[in-house]
Amino acid sequence: MQALLSFENAPPFAAPLRFFLTAPLFAILAGLLLAWNGPPLMASRWMPGALAATHLVTVGFMLQVMLGALIQILPVVAGANLRHPLRVARIVHVGLSAGGVLLAAGFLIDPPGMLGFAALLLGGTLLYFLAVCVQALVGVPSTSPTIRGLKLALIGLAAVVGLGMLMAFALTYGWSVPLSALADLHAGWGLGGWAGVLLVAMAYVVVPMFQLTPGYPARPSWWFPVAMLLLLLLWSGGVLGNLDGLVRLSQGLAAIAGIAFCVVTLRLQGQRRRARADATYRYWQLGLVASVFALLMLLISSLWPAASELEGWTIGFGILIVAGGFMPFITGMLYKISAFLSWLHLQNFGQAKIPAPAMNKILSDTDCQRQMVAYVVALALLLAAVIVPDWLARPAGLAFALANAWLFWNLAGAVRRYRRAQAEMAEKLAAL
Amino acid sequence: MTTIRSFMTDDHRRCDDFFADAEQAIGKNNMAAARAAFEHFQSAVLAHFECEEKTLFPTFEAKTGMSMGPTQVMRMEHQQMRDLLGDARNAIESGDIDDYLGLAETLLIMMQQHNMKEENILYPMCDQHLSAELPAVLERLEMELRDE
Repeated sequence: MQALLSFENAPPFAAPLRFFLTAPLFAILAGLLLAWNGPPLMASRWMPGALAATHLVTVGFMLQVMLGALIQILPVVAGANLRHPLRVARIVHVGLSAGGVLLAAGFLIDPPGMLGFAALLLGGTLLYFLAVCVQALVGVPSTSPTIRGLKLALIGLAAVVGLGMLMAFALTYGWSVPLSALADLHAGWGLGGWAGVLLVAMAYVVVPMFQLTPGYPARPSWWFPVAMLLLLLLWSGGVLGNLDGLVRLSQGLAAIAGIAFCVVTLRLQGQRRRARADATYRYWQLGLVASVFALLMLLISSLWPAASELEGWTIGFGILIVAGGFMPFITGMLYKISAFLSWLHLQNFGQAKIPAPAMNKILSDTDCQRQMVAYVVALALLLAAVIVPDWLARPAGLAFALANAWLFWNLAGAVRRYRRAQAEMAEKLAAL
Repeated sequence: MTTIRSFMTDDHRRCDDFFADAEQAIGKNNMAAARAAFEHFQSAVLAHFECEEKTLFPTFEAKTGMSMGPTQVMRMEHQQMRDLLGDARNAIESGDIDDYLGLAETLLIMMQQHNMKEENILYPMCDQHLSAELPAVLERLEMELRDE
């Protein structure tokens, strides 16, 4: 409730912004790594370069934006106020960024102990973040599927971090654990239980409200996050009990649930009442279509495990779900939230005496749509590189780095215009 | 059962519909229809603000004693949206489509995040604290919105 009490409690722009500006830099690093490492990186998911690039994107890009956005929106969607949001943002941002770099370096050059140290740093940072969120969410009733989804997603975050730490320590200290099964489970909790449930919880809000579509069907909305978490628990049980059938059953069902969500969202978007297709909407469409294909691959490999032995299958799946699915969703929303927050903070700064420039003056849709074309080219190259890595791995990496550099340029431009507008408004306020 | 939350949420959606009508008309380059739809939108939103500020919020404040709390923040956001509405109206009347679309986008997001707070937090609080007064409050809200 306190979140509504005053604007002073709203997080300052600097809190989420640091995450939003850092995220593209990690994606650039991942692209450069592929360009530098070349075809060997795409030979197997276990290649040091592949592990490093994956985590540069998932921890450095995805997690970075997700946590920054959560700090901003917990008060809005759940009425859950973080105490000292700027302090939380500073600590989490430093821990996450340093941890992300060290983790990638740990995979790539493997100096003794670095992997374990990176895991400790990331684990500690995320434990702190989780504690802060739980503190804010205690006593907040789940009055909407979004609030319930947010809470359950945090359980997914705890699980993916716990599993990641376990594997990092196992590698550091030579513990004997079933690494392959655990890595799948870690990815399942990360992409399904955390990122997936969080995305779905956000979609319940952002799809109907900003695209003016009909709402998601109520009952399935309440149950989707719960079902996803139960399936992941089932999967975990399968790994613990060494029951391959149970693992495959839960993977298959999770894939079906994910496809159902994507299809429902595509159908809702088909009924949207907004006249224009902006970059955010297009990015969502891209993400949904790519996710459907990725999840079909997961479904196929759960029915026919030999599929995942096919050359390039797992790498192709990873690219489709992460670079094709999650990154477009995140980038699309990142554009919208950055422009809106710029406006909102300028509006408050103007004290209702000086008008703030509208969102499109801060970040124009044309710039975002152009960047999206570059991103689509990069994604197509990445997917083609799975088939002909010798020819395309390096160009794909370079294209991916460039598309994300463009994203950074667009966001930094918005911040520059924000600062300029603020300076002009300050002059006008002083002259009043 | 009708609650404050369901009743007021329905009115939010009604305002959204008018907003969409205006944007659709602009998409079809029909400025006369766009102006008419915007006028509907503006008066629906203003009527919604008014019935909250004159009836719902004061009743809530009297009952809970929270006069500087959530309702105060909602009032401030109403003012921000009134300003945006005014600017958007000027833009649409002078036929400046680009400006209108930018302001409308800003207004839509401002409005939706505001609605989210009301629908998920404030209205459930109202339903909880005003359960005894519910039928009377709903009747007044209904009357005020009809008279708009």
